[in-house]
Amino acid sequence: MKGVLVRPERCIGCRHCEVACALEHSQSKDLFIMLREIPLSEPRIHVEVGINFLTFPNRCRHCDPAPCMQVCPTNALERDEATGSVVVNYNKCISCTACAIACPFGVIQFKEVYQVKLKREVNAKCDNCMDRQLEGRVPACVEACKTGALEFGEINELIRVSRKDFTVRMTKSQGAEVEVPKIPENIKAFRGVLEKLASEGLFKED
Amino acid sequence: MNNDLFSFKKEAEKRALDKTDQEIIEKALSEGVETAWDRLEKQQPQCGFGQLGICCNRCALGPCRIDPFSEEGPIRGVCGATADLIVARNLLDDLAVGAAAHSDHGREVVEVLLDTAEGKTQGYKITDEEKLKAIAKEYGIEVKKKTNEEIAKEVALAMLEEFGTIKNRLQFTERAPEKTREMWKKYGIMPRSVDREIVEAAHRIHMGVGADHLNILLHALRTSLSDGWGGSMMATFSSDILFGTPTPTSSVVNLGVLAYDKINIVVHGHNPILSEMILKASEDPELLSLATKNGAKGINIVGMCCTGAELLMRHGIPIAGSLLDQELAIATGAVEAMIIDYQCIFPSITSTASCYHTKVVSTSEKAMVPGAIYKPFKPETALDTAKEIIKLAIENFPNRNPNRVKIPDKSVKMMAGFSEEAIRKALGGSYKPLIDAIVSGKIKGAAGVVGCNNPKIKMDYGHVTLVKELIKRDILVLETGCAAVACGKAGLLLPEAADLAGKGLKPVCKALGIPPVLHMGSCVDNSRILILAANIAKEIGVGIEDLPVVGAAPEWYSQKAISIGAYFVASGISVVLGIPPKIFGSTNVIDLLTNKLRGVVNATFAVEPDPIKAADIIEVEIQRKRKALGI
Repeated sequence: MKGVLVRPERCIGCRHCEVACALEHSQSKDLFIMLREIPLSEPRIHVEVGINFLTFPNRCRHCDPAPCMQVCPTNALERDEATGSVVVNYNKCISCTACAIACPFGVIQFKEVYQVKLKREVNAKCDNCMDRQLEGRVPACVEACKTGALEFGEINELIRVSRKDFTVRMTKSQGAEVEVPKIPENIKAFRGVLEKLASEGLFKED
Repeated sequence: MNNDLFSFKKEAEKRALDKTDQEIIEKALSEGVETAWDRLEKQQPQCGFGQLGICCNRCALGPCRIDPFSEEGPIRGVCGATADLIVARNLLDDLAVGAAAHSDHGREVVEVLLDTAEGKTQGYKITDEEKLKAIAKEYGIEVKKKTNEEIAKEVALAMLEEFGTIKNRLQFTERAPEKTREMWKKYGIMPRSVDREIVEAAHRIHMGVGADHLNILLHALRTSLSDGWGGSMMATFSSDILFGTPTPTSSVVNLGVLAYDKINIVVHGHNPILSEMILKASEDPELLSLATKNGAKGINIVGMCCTGAELLMRHGIPIAGSLLDQELAIATGAVEAMIIDYQCIFPSITSTASCYHTKVVSTSEKAMVPGAIYKPFKPETALDTAKEIIKLAIENFPNRNPNRVKIPDKSVKMMAGFSEEAIRKALGGSYKPLIDAIVSGKIKGAAGVVGCNNPKIKMDYGHVTLVKELIKRDILVLETGCAAVACGKAGLLLPEAADLAGKGLKPVCKALGIPPVLHMGSCVDNSRILILAANIAKEIGVGIEDLPVVGAAPEWYSQKAISIGAYFVASGISVVLGIPPKIFGSTNVIDLLTNKLRGVVNATFAVEPDPIKAADIIEVEIQRKRKALGI
């Protein structure tokens, strides 16, 4: 099974993935033209701030079975067998939002898309860049991510890294001194400063 | 945030420390008026590459960025620049912009001094003859048998020459102690001219010029010195000559200085050549009677940001607030006109004003703002233009909607006007009493707490908490700019605030009748802190880098603050920053600025947002320097 794994500790909130996503789903696929397109292509991946200015790139997980597919009354959501992606047949979508209610990750947004001629908003969620995958390319968000926060590949392979990290953590008490996942000292220092900044003022948690 | 009054109140408490600010923030929230805090929230998340300083958008090979986590991602820009180089170039860029802002402001004042000397200006005159002559002597200008105007002309031309490249020397650097000057010469950071260092900075950050981060950052120090001991110092001295060297004065501060029954005019920006004329014109009998005719009881000129500090220092005019107060002042609904020149004016200020009757008047050809009324301010017609602007404000008074006006009840008293000369005078003509107090340990040292507001920190919390902590620990505080406004609002700029000081500092303040926190002026007036430090060092016979003096910018935001921070450090004064500069993408640059610089200028930068911990760092640094002095 191939897919995108998120390594949140590596996300620095640059939102480059958002721009690449919007570009990929625009009509022209040209950065300088897309901003004048109607409807405007908008990102399907969302980088938002959690606590202490830390960010997380939130993206459709392409579940199987997918709760959104199960509740869709018009079968507008379909599974692409080749890539395992959950995709929307925009013209079948009736904007009832049942899928958004069922989605555990809150990643479904209703937008106008150029594929629908009538002026209405439909489920415009991540399509896993299926077309790119069929050409042997990685999703646009993954390509844009320069910090390795978004990785595409054989999921079990990607998880293997996390598993190894976890093993090291669990055995730390037995003498292992390696901190994992390894974050450079300067980045740790910077995040420490941000954490302090968040402790007073506008971003203080209620 | 919910749209109810309770949520607004809670949000306001998060945004600002001061109650009067909170009151108007609540009003702005309930009226749906956008402010910097809202915009900061909408900007989240802010790009990590930018924050770490590892984004380079300088040439068309890019934009490029460096993977801060691993070597699997890009570790060099297209040109080959590493994280170290990109961070250093970005920092030099920011610093040069800040130095340019101060120095271009300075140049304008010197030009007005020249025009005044030549009799070409309207409303300006030579006010401080003593300072003029003292500075003339420094430049080797003969003062005997010459009129003030003749001397001023030569002084102004001598200063203007220092912006260029022929002379290759800045006169006022000679005010620094010999030991400090030797240090600058040794490391090749003695500034040669104002414009030259800034232009060279722009050259050095072009692709394929400097590739060594250390070499680039040494030039950054030199550029900052050309600001502190050049452009900014010329701004301060020329302003003193034209408008008078400040002496201790009293005034009031916070948004409560606005009046229900008067024409409220906010002067906002930096250069006193504008605000001084506005103040002068506001005393015009014809305009006063026009104000009465329009139903007002007078004309109330209040200051915002540094131009406010300039007027406060010399005339004791009230201060409405600092950077983050500019939108709040308008949101009181009581401002007839906001008159702006340049620097720190939110580009959206006219949108804010459009929610009320407030008219924004822009006056500088360098700083036009869409939606503002443009009244170009020229030295030869300055007073006429100032009168025209005030007339416009008066005629706007009937448009004020009393139902939408809310002014906080109570302003706070404050003292200001502590120029270096005034402090020396208060001490009885020499620094001996202060030096004795420091040697005996009654006063451990001094801290220059300066800089802006930044919505990333609860407004004024950083300044006020740090300063209270410092005076409690017997550290005398010197302030300028927004930092001074913050402490003014908190009542710390009053002699009574000495009660909050430690048992060493308190009696010294009481004996001299001064506050434990001294307001020394606007941001270009940080040059006064340099002069103060230089004079104390010379009196003891050491370098500035040996003094138990530290700087802090708890809430800084501006490129100018980077230049100020750097000229403090380059002059030997360590600086603690409350907001992280964009350097965290490079371990080598961090190490250089926070550690290795100690071996060069005996001072470093530190980053610490927690004001109590920042006070700890300051105290440790002061103790380190005391120990080295053997006291």
